[in-house]
Amino acid sequence: MFLSLSLICLTVAVLLAQVNKMTAKPIADAKAMKLQNAISEVVPAFDNDPIAEAFLMPDGQGDSLLVYPAKKGDEIVGYALNSFSTNGFSGNIQIMVGFDMEHRIVNYSVLQHGETPGLGSKMSEWFRDAAKPSQSIIGRDLSKGALAVSNDGGNVDAITASTITSRAFLEAINRAYAAYSGNMDATSGATQSESDTTGTTQSGSVTNISGETNDNDEQDITSQEGGNDNE
Amino acid sequence: MNDNLKVLINGIIKENPIFVLLLGMCPTLATTSSAINGMSMGLATMFVLICSNAVISMLKNLIPDMVRIPAYIVVIATFVTIIEMMMNAYVPALADSLGIFIPLIVVNCIVLGRAESFASKNSVISSVFDGIGIGLGFTFALSLLGAVRELLGTGQIFSLNIYPEQFGSLIFVLAPGAFIVLGYLIAIFNKLQKKEGTN
Amino acid sequence: MENKLVVSPSPHIHSGDTIQKNMYGVLIALIPAFLVALYVFRLDALIITALAVLFCVGFEYLIVKYMMKKTPTVLDGSAIITGVLLAFNVPSNLPVWILALGCLFAIGVVKLSFGGLGNNIFNPAIAGRIFLLISFPAQMTVWPAPETAFTIDAVSSATILGNLKLNPELLPSLQTMFLGTEAGSLGEMSALALLLGLGWLLWKKIITWHIPISIMATVAIFTGILYIFNPIPLYNPLIHLFSGGLMLGAVFMATDYVTSPMTKKGMLIYGVGIGFITIAIRLWGAYPEGVSFAILLMNAFTPLINNYTTPKRFGEVVKHG
Repeated sequence: MFLSLSLICLTVAVLLAQVNKMTAKPIADAKAMKLQNAISEVVPAFDNDPIAEAFLMPDGQGDSLLVYPAKKGDEIVGYALNSFSTNGFSGNIQIMVGFDMEHRIVNYSVLQHGETPGLGSKMSEWFRDAAKPSQSIIGRDLSKGALAVSNDGGNVDAITASTITSRAFLEAINRAYAAYSGNMDATSGATQSESDTTGTTQSGSVTNISGETNDNDEQDITSQEGGNDNE
Repeated sequence: MNDNLKVLINGIIKENPIFVLLLGMCPTLATTSSAINGMSMGLATMFVLICSNAVISMLKNLIPDMVRIPAYIVVIATFVTIIEMMMNAYVPALADSLGIFIPLIVVNCIVLGRAESFASKNSVISSVFDGIGIGLGFTFALSLLGAVRELLGTGQIFSLNIYPEQFGSLIFVLAPGAFIVLGYLIAIFNKLQKKEGTN
Repeated sequence: MENKLVVSPSPHIHSGDTIQKNMYGVLIALIPAFLVALYVFRLDALIITALAVLFCVGFEYLIVKYMMKKTPTVLDGSAIITGVLLAFNVPSNLPVWILALGCLFAIGVVKLSFGGLGNNIFNPAIAGRIFLLISFPAQMTVWPAPETAFTIDAVSSATILGNLKLNPELLPSLQTMFLGTEAGSLGEMSALALLLGLGWLLWKKIITWHIPISIMATVAIFTGILYIFNPIPLYNPLIHLFSGGLMLGAVFMATDYVTSPMTKKGMLIYGVGIGFITIAIRLWGAYPEGVSFAILLMNAFTPLINNYTTPKRFGEVVKHG
């Protein structure tokens, strides 16, 4: 009895290992593809590999966000940030939002959410409806102040009957901007050497690092954070 | 062969897992927010059912009675893991929308129920037919439920517009709608079956 | 001849109460609230109420006659009350087709699917309102500003409870709430008018005090305790009593005979439960208003409450533990 159960388990393990081997690459490809699409949707055209160059930036609230720099040639044309909010109507909201170099929102895409279909789920389109400037956030310059829904005295119209979702969505955008502006400040004044950044490990809890993390990334992270600590 | 056909039909109508046996309610209610979701969930379950029925029927003399439940679960879990990996690899969008309910096929009582009550007592061929029958019944029920909910909730069936979306009642896409629609579908199914019985 | 010798089980003494008598009594009690709605929303209030009654009675007649193949009893007044209460629970500018769907759901699904009056588990009007609230949240949560208020230019206006959490500085005075010219659904305008209705119902002995008073007392005590420790508007018991659908729910919807417990003790448990759930949803829930959800939930508990509060039969030996 013990033997036969072990035998079954063993066979099954071998089988699953085979299937895993077979599907591992397509799964990774599909994930990378999704991320790639999300990034290219929200930043100006680029020709580098933002996923490989991703780094972490603190958002000023104890967490860090993944930042994907988009470069055309050697020049950075924008940043895509993987931001989130924990204050959604049901569960977390994860977005990818892109900024150009002038603090303006290029575009966004909603990566993951559990909002009510037909209500909160409208955020995927609502905030980029070019025909309705009072609700669209595309092209807004966040250096002039954080976004807020009009019910709270801001200048973005909330989704009808989904104020909570709208609020959470804008929170995620503002969080992304905090990390973005921190990065802009850091890159303009980041001249210090790498030697004084060895001990910094305050990268907080990042919800979803789906890019490939290699040694280069690690260095990027520490240097960026070191730069910010110096501010 | 005739018997196999009977087994097949039996699974779709007389022992329809959803409308008659009322088994596997959790994925039924949770994944049928649209017709396509319901159908893919049904097909995924059908795949697992057929494979696990076949394998368990093959192994029925090898598996000692004392450990049959763990053995069944291992077999079922294997096929569920396989289909989960396949879906993640080749239809990631669908895998995203079904989410946790694909891994949860493992604990779907239809699958274990058929293994225990049918596959472990019958030949491989008729077990496969039972898997197909029950699977089709499950898929049919889930697709129907999904289609009705999608139609009432968003005005579409399989994403085809039937009437403008703003006239849809959102409640049918949400959880309460699943219960209401399921209740009415079971009532209609019962009524139809009763009529058949008296004729 | 034969009719004079009817064999029937007890009770043999009839109080003279009939379904009709009680139902029309409730309708009379709803008149003050209706007058306030007319004053605030003018013609809209009349149209919505009339249409809701028409739809409810019409659907009941059609379904009973053609689907259930029984003699329709629409004139017992219960469908009329469902219509009026449903109308009182929606904004005055609700599109007619949404109202019709709500009536169809209340009558067809909630009432007749379970077998008609007396067999329904849930109060049809409440369930109809919740159906509409979940299905059409955008239309159901935009209230026209009352025409008699000072802000004439406002097309839509947040309710008191909506403002309570977000911007407490916009709250109207308690007097306004009590008399009723704030934004909101048709029938929940004036606490005073609804209390007049309660007075009538109690005087005519159509309902007893247990359910409405226990709901109001629970709400007042619960929020009162919080208010003592932290006196902010969100916890103000008077605001909670006089705003939203609390009065309407406590007086007219929670007291529905069919879906509320039968014993006095049961009624108290039921009322306290509604009070607690209402405040819990109002304070910590995502929805600003919780009365209808609270009533629906406690409706579901009613059979259980009835079971646990069965009175001792006369002469039954009390068990000694």
